[in-house]
Amino acid sequence: MAAARALWRPGLPVPRGCGRLWAQPGRAAAAVAPPPPSGASPGARSPFDRRLKRKQKNWAALRPRPAECEYLRDEVGSGVADRVLDIPRTFPLALDLGSGRGYIARHLNQEVIEKLVQVDIAENVFKSTSESEIPTVSVVADEECLPFKENTFDLVVSSLSLHWVNDLPKAFREIHQVLKPDGVFIGAMFGGDTLYELRCSLQLAELEREGGFSPHVSPFVAVSDLGHLLSRAGFNTLTVDTDEIQVNYPGLFEVMEDLQGMGESNCSWNRKPLLHRDTMLAAAAIYQEMYGNSDGSVPATFQIFYMIGWKFHESQAKPAQRGSATVSLGDLAKIDKLLHQK
Amino acid sequence: MSGRGVWLRARARLRRFPALLAGCGEQASAYGRCVAAASAGSAELRRDVCLREFQALRECFARAAAATKC
Repeated sequence: MAAARALWRPGLPVPRGCGRLWAQPGRAAAAVAPPPPSGASPGARSPFDRRLKRKQKNWAALRPRPAECEYLRDEVGSGVADRVLDIPRTFPLALDLGSGRGYIARHLNQEVIEKLVQVDIAENVFKSTSESEIPTVSVVADEECLPFKENTFDLVVSSLSLHWVNDLPKAFREIHQVLKPDGVFIGAMFGGDTLYELRCSLQLAELEREGGFSPHVSPFVAVSDLGHLLSRAGFNTLTVDTDEIQVNYPGLFEVMEDLQGMGESNCSWNRKPLLHRDTMLAAAAIYQEMYGNSDGSVPATFQIFYMIGWKFHESQAKPAQRGSATVSLGDLAKIDKLLHQK
Repeated sequence: MSGRGVWLRARARLRRFPALLAGCGEQASAYGRCVAAASAGSAELRRDVCLREFQALRECFARAAAATKC
């Protein structure tokens, strides 16, 4: 407990208990619906209702078979774990943001990460965490205001939870802050083209049936914006790569049901509260006709952006000074001779 | 909307949709083709452009729902 207490940002009350750290109910409410925080970037909108997202994730975690809908998170979690394993280091203390039931920790062992802190906004996911070798501490907190001190973690990972964050620049800045120098952030987020079939089908159906349309699929970040956001937050040596996962479903209703089961239901403030049955029927027909596969199933595309960013440390490689080259690129044809000369 | 019963009944009704829709494949693809054609190129999709196809689809759906009512 003393070790955990040492991590806490000064000024925040430390919750009691050991092992699992549950935020007090009053503080939890404050964490999910904060008044305009002092560190907010100018012009920050809040498109998402975090309270509702918490309720949705809690509901999804209490379903009888939560493992049914977690195929996507498991896949992306193993992708993030692969990238962690690519770095030949042992991380004494790591943070998993928006961990859910723990999709990254289950692919890693204690040689890579010695101790893990899992953070999620919904407390029910911790009631059924998956088995992992790594000793874990679970904290219920909002990704937008992390309760940790500066320079605490050697590694921060996040898998498929940052796309519901209201102020993404601030979240990246906070991650950069809690990292130690020479620490690394490895994240995975849903990107631009995710669920475009669902979005288009619903849009066309609403246009045809109701004469107008409202957004049903949340806006996703584009890959170029991601690079800018990360470098503005202070990360060095960025790597962003994309992966596209296509999952086939029987139809539109199954897509929506699985999204609900994953806790990915819409929680934008500007969402339409009602989706007419006629519109859903029309959208299902359009989805099948425009995007359907030959065997009658429909594809749903998930585009994942994997990003790796480092916090500055003197030991890291820097770009060389201009004018310090010793050989010219034009000598590439004679490279064998040059190597022998050395 | 009061009481959990409403949500549970609405959800149960919704769960029958895919099965009922499966029996109306023809009307569904006719409607889908109409919308795809109407929104292709520079054409603007307006309300009720494919009203007839949609009504055929809805009637088929309602028939299937009435037939399999449990």
